[in-house]
Amino acid sequence: MENILLKDKVASLEGYFAAGGYRALKKALAMKPADVTAEVKASGLRGRGGAGFPAGLKWSFIPKDAQGPRYLVCNADEGEPGTFKDRELLLRNPHALIEGMVIAGWAIGAQTGYIYIRGEFAAEARLLERELFAARAKGFVGRNVLGSGFDFELFVHRGAGAYICGEETALLESLEGFKGQPRLKPPFPAVKGLFGAPTVINNVETLAAVPAIIDKGGAWYASMGTPKSAGTKLFCVSGPVNKPGVYELPLGVPFRELLEKHCGGMKEGKKLKAVLPGGSSTPVLTAAEAMAVALDYEALAAAGSMLGSGAVIIIDESQCMVKLLQVLARFYHHESCGQCTPCREGCGWIEKLLNRLEAGKGSGRDIDTLYSAADAMLGRTICPLADAMAMPAMSFVKKFRGEFEAHAAGKCCGPDGGAR
Amino acid sequence: MPRITIDGRPIEVEKGVTLLEAAQRLGVHIPRYCYHPKLSVSGNCRMCLVEIEKAPKLVTACSTEAADGMAVLTMSEKVKTARRDVLEFLLINHPLDCPVCDQAGECGLQDYYMEHSLAKSRFPAEDKVRRQKRRVLGPHLVLDNERCILCTRCVRFCSEVTRTSELEVMERADHSFIDLKEGRALDNGYSLNIADICPVGAWTSRDFRFKQRVWFLKKTPTVCLGCATGCLTEVHHNENTIYRVVPRPNAETNTWLCDAGRMTYKAVQAGDRLAKGVIKNGLIDLEPALRETASRIDEAHGALAVLGSPWLSVEDNAALARLAKDALKTADFSFDFSAEQGVKDGILINKDPAPNAAGARRVQAAFGGTSFAELSAKVASGAVKVLVTEARAAALLKDALKAGGARLIVFAANRSEIPAGAYATLPYASYFETPGTFINFQGLERRTQPAVTAAEGVKPLWAMVNKLAVYSGTSLRLESAQDALKGIDLK
Amino acid sequence: MPLRLTDDFKAKAARVCAAYPRKDAALIPLLQELQREKGYVAEEAMDALAAFLELPYARVKAVVTFYTMFNRAPVGKYHLQVCRNISCHMAGAPGLLARLREKLGISEGETTRDGLFTLSSVECLGACGSAPVLQVNEHYFEKMDERTLDALLDDMRHGRLRAADF
Repeated sequence: MENILLKDKVASLEGYFAAGGYRALKKALAMKPADVTAEVKASGLRGRGGAGFPAGLKWSFIPKDAQGPRYLVCNADEGEPGTFKDRELLLRNPHALIEGMVIAGWAIGAQTGYIYIRGEFAAEARLLERELFAARAKGFVGRNVLGSGFDFELFVHRGAGAYICGEETALLESLEGFKGQPRLKPPFPAVKGLFGAPTVINNVETLAAVPAIIDKGGAWYASMGTPKSAGTKLFCVSGPVNKPGVYELPLGVPFRELLEKHCGGMKEGKKLKAVLPGGSSTPVLTAAEAMAVALDYEALAAAGSMLGSGAVIIIDESQCMVKLLQVLARFYHHESCGQCTPCREGCGWIEKLLNRLEAGKGSGRDIDTLYSAADAMLGRTICPLADAMAMPAMSFVKKFRGEFEAHAAGKCCGPDGGAR
Repeated sequence: MPRITIDGRPIEVEKGVTLLEAAQRLGVHIPRYCYHPKLSVSGNCRMCLVEIEKAPKLVTACSTEAADGMAVLTMSEKVKTARRDVLEFLLINHPLDCPVCDQAGECGLQDYYMEHSLAKSRFPAEDKVRRQKRRVLGPHLVLDNERCILCTRCVRFCSEVTRTSELEVMERADHSFIDLKEGRALDNGYSLNIADICPVGAWTSRDFRFKQRVWFLKKTPTVCLGCATGCLTEVHHNENTIYRVVPRPNAETNTWLCDAGRMTYKAVQAGDRLAKGVIKNGLIDLEPALRETASRIDEAHGALAVLGSPWLSVEDNAALARLAKDALKTADFSFDFSAEQGVKDGILINKDPAPNAAGARRVQAAFGGTSFAELSAKVASGAVKVLVTEARAAALLKDALKAGGARLIVFAANRSEIPAGAYATLPYASYFETPGTFINFQGLERRTQPAVTAAEGVKPLWAMVNKLAVYSGTSLRLESAQDALKGIDLK
Repeated sequence: MPLRLTDDFKAKAARVCAAYPRKDAALIPLLQELQREKGYVAEEAMDALAAFLELPYARVKAVVTFYTMFNRAPVGKYHLQVCRNISCHMAGAPGLLARLREKLGISEGETTRDGLFTLSSVECLGACGSAPVLQVNEHYFEKMDERTLDALLDDMRHGRLRAADF
C-alpha cells in the first residue's frame, strides 16, 4: 500500500505539485461544496485528533442558512503525550494540510482559516508560514483561489503552552485571546464557534487526508482500513522499541504487526509489559491484551481502550507502573485548566496519592482512594481532561494492582524489585 | 413549549428555560455554587449535575435547556453520588476555618455538606493547598483565597455588572486563585455584593467581619434611603444593634445594593447621634429645646416659613405641612422638589441623592404651598424671620438663608448633619427606627420597617412636630403616623 | 516605570491584529512578541499591552499566568527545558535532568549566576519518537544522552551555539 500522508519529496511546493498536489483543489472548486462534503462523508474519514468523529458529518453541521463569516480551524496543538504525528506530517507534507484546508474551506463556506499550532513548534510554525507564502504566490490560497472567485485566507496562530488547548473549544478560546478554558456545549462550534460564528475544527491529519480523498474519491479511501475505521492512520510509536517513529498504516493493523514488523520489536529484547494504545489518556492494555488487538476505533473500544490520537506508548517490564502513573498524574495536574471542580481538585489529589505510594509511604487504603477519586472525576466535567486522568489511573490500578500493593507495602516493583 | 418531567412531576416551560429554573418553579432546589440568576452561566462547579433518563452522562442543570420529553431526575442515586463527590473535591483543599469563619452559618459548603454528604475526610490536612489568606482588598472586602472554591461569581460580577473587570482567576489547576492588579483596590461602588454572592467565606465584608455570628441575626425587610432608587433591603440586627444591610432582590428595582447604601445604617449607631436638642452649639434636654424653639417661632410674629424635605418620609413631610398650615398659620411652605431623577451609572445609583422627592410632591398635592423658587426668593428677601425644615433640606436654601438672615430651625438625626448657623436643632428617630413611606423614582411606594428602637425620648419626626405645635399653642392631634397621612393620596 | 511600546512594535501589532476580526485576539501573539524582545513578560509590558488593546489588566495577567511559555521573570541566555513526560521519562529524562542540575549547580526554575542557563522541566513536547527531548529556547534537541548533552552544554558555554540562531 502506498502512503497517502507520509510521502517523500513533497516537503516543498514544487515537489508536492510535481506529485499531483493541488489537483484535488482544482477538482473541488469545480464541484458544489455540498458534493465535496458528501465525498468526505463517503470516505468514512474520522477525526484523527482523538475523538474519531466522522469528518464529513462534522462539516455538514454548519447551518446551511448561517449568515456572516464562517471559520475553519486546524488543530495543530499536538500535545497528547506520546503523540508526534502532526509534527512529522507538517515537516514532511505541509501542503497536504494547506490544500486540505482550502478544500474544506470551500466545502463549508469559510473564507478564513487558522492553523492553531502549539507554541513549542516554533520551527514548524515558521515552515508553515513559508509554505503558505509559496502557496499564496501560486494562487492556491488567498483571494480568488485558482481564479474560481473563492477567497480563502489562511493564518498560522501559535499557542503559548497549554495542553488543554487541544480540546477544540479551549482552542477557540485561546485563538480569541483568552485563557484556554473549554466552553460549555451546546452550543457546538458548528453553530457558535470562533468569534461566535459557525466553525469547523479538524486535526492536522484529518485535513491532510482530504486532498487524496477528493482526488481519488471517497470510495477509494473507504476501501482501506476496516468498514467502520476507514483509511490510513498515522501511528506514532514511542518507548523502548527498536525503531520508534511515525508509521502510516491502514486502520485495523494488528498491534503485533506494528510492533514486530514496523518497529523492529522490543529494544534490547526486553519484555513488553503494557501499552497505552492511543496516547497517555487512554486506558492501558496489558501485553497480552495489546498483542491480541487490532488498531482501529472499534477493536480498541472492544478491548476497553481507545484509538485516541494513534499514539502508541510502549512500556517494558523494567518500568514501574506506579512511577509511570505518577508521571502522568503530575502532567494532568499541571495541565488541568482549573475550571471544573472534579478535575481541578481531583488531578492534584491523585498526584498526591501517587507521590505517597511511589515513595513507599502509602497504604492499601490509598490505592482504593486513588481508584474512587478517579472514578468520581469520570464524566463529570465540561471537557474530557478529567477523564484523561481518570482512565489511565483506573486502568493502571485495575490491571497492575500488584505493583501498587507492593508500593503500599514499602517495596518498589522496579527492575531490581528491592525494598526502597 | 417544551414539556418535561422533574422527578416525575410534569411541567411545561418556555423555550430556553434551563432545568435548574424549571425545577425551581416546582419548588425543587438543585444545589449550586457557580450559578447565579443575574450572572452568565459558567457551569464550572458541577454541583448541579442531574440525570436525564436515557442520557449517558449527568448534565449541569444550570446550563441545560429543557427539551421536550426530558425526564429529569434530581434525586437519583447517580445524582446523589455526584453531589457527594463534588463536595468531597471542594472540601479536600478547603481549610478547617469554620470556627473562625464569618461565613459559618450561611456557607454553601456547610449547608450542602450537611444536606448531601456527611462523609468523613479522606484527605490529610497537611496535603491541603495553601493560598494567601486575609488579604484586604479595597475599603470593604477581605479575600481569603484558601477558602475560595473558584466558582467565579465574583469575577463575573465585576465583568458583567460593574463592568470594571478587576478580578480574574490566575494560574491554573488547583493552584489557581482569584486576584487583581497588585496595589489596586477593589472599590467599584458595588463591591460588597461580592461578599453576598460568594457562596463560601472567601470574600467577607470588612465591616461585618467578626462582629456577629449570623445565626444570632434577626432580619427586617426595609428600604434603602441612600438615593431616589429606593432599593429594597434587609437589615440584619441583634439586640438593638444593626450589623449589616443586604439587598432584598426584586424584579422592580434591585438585585444588588451599592456600597454607599449598605453603609447608611452607620449613622444610626454613630457617636454623633442626637438624643437631645441643640441650641446654637449647645446640647440641651428636649423639653427646654422645644420651649426655646417655640418661643423663637412666637417671636417671628408670623414671618415663618416651612420647607419639607425629600429625605423625610411622606408622614413626616405631611406633619410639617400641618405644622405650617394649622399651627404656624403661614402660607409660606413648600414641598416642591424636582431634582433630576434616573439611574446614573447604569446599575443602581440615582442622579437624585434624596429618596423621597416624589413623596414630598404627594404632600404638596394634598396641602398646596408655594413653589420651591418662590419660597427661596422669600427667604432671600428677608421677609422670613424663622425657617423650619430638615437639616439636609436646609442646605438647598443655603444661599437664600445667608442673604435673608432667617433663623434656622432644623430637625436632624445626627449632629454632623446640622448646617452651620442653625439656631435650634430637634432630634428625631431614623427610618431604621420608625416606619415611613417613600416613593422612589419609579413612583413605587415603599415603607421602611423599624429594625431597632430609638434612644429614650427620641421620637419620630411627626411626633416631634406634634410636640412643637403644642409648645406653640396649637394641637395638631397627631397620635400616629397614620394621622399625618390623612388626605394624602397613597395606595 | 511604565513601558512605552515602540513604533516598530505598533506597526507589527497592526499587522498581527489584521489577521483577526477582533483585535483582542492578538493578545497572545503580541505577548509573544513582547517576550521575544525582552526575554520575558514584565508587569509593565502587561500594563502597556492592556492599554494598547483596550483590555482589562486582569485579563492580560490571567492569560500570561495560564500559558506556560510566558516567562514572568528574566531567563538565562539558554533556557534548557527538559521534557519529563512518559516517553521521555522512560528514555532517561530523569537522568538528564539530574545531570543538568549537577553540572549547572541549579534546580528547576533557577538561573545560573552568569545568566547563561535557566533550567526547567516541561511537559510533553510532542517529539516522543526521539525521546528524550531537550528544548533550548525555541529549538529542539532530540534523542539526548549524557554524551550529546555534555557536548551541547560545552558548545553553548563556548559560544559555538549562538542563541541568536534559535
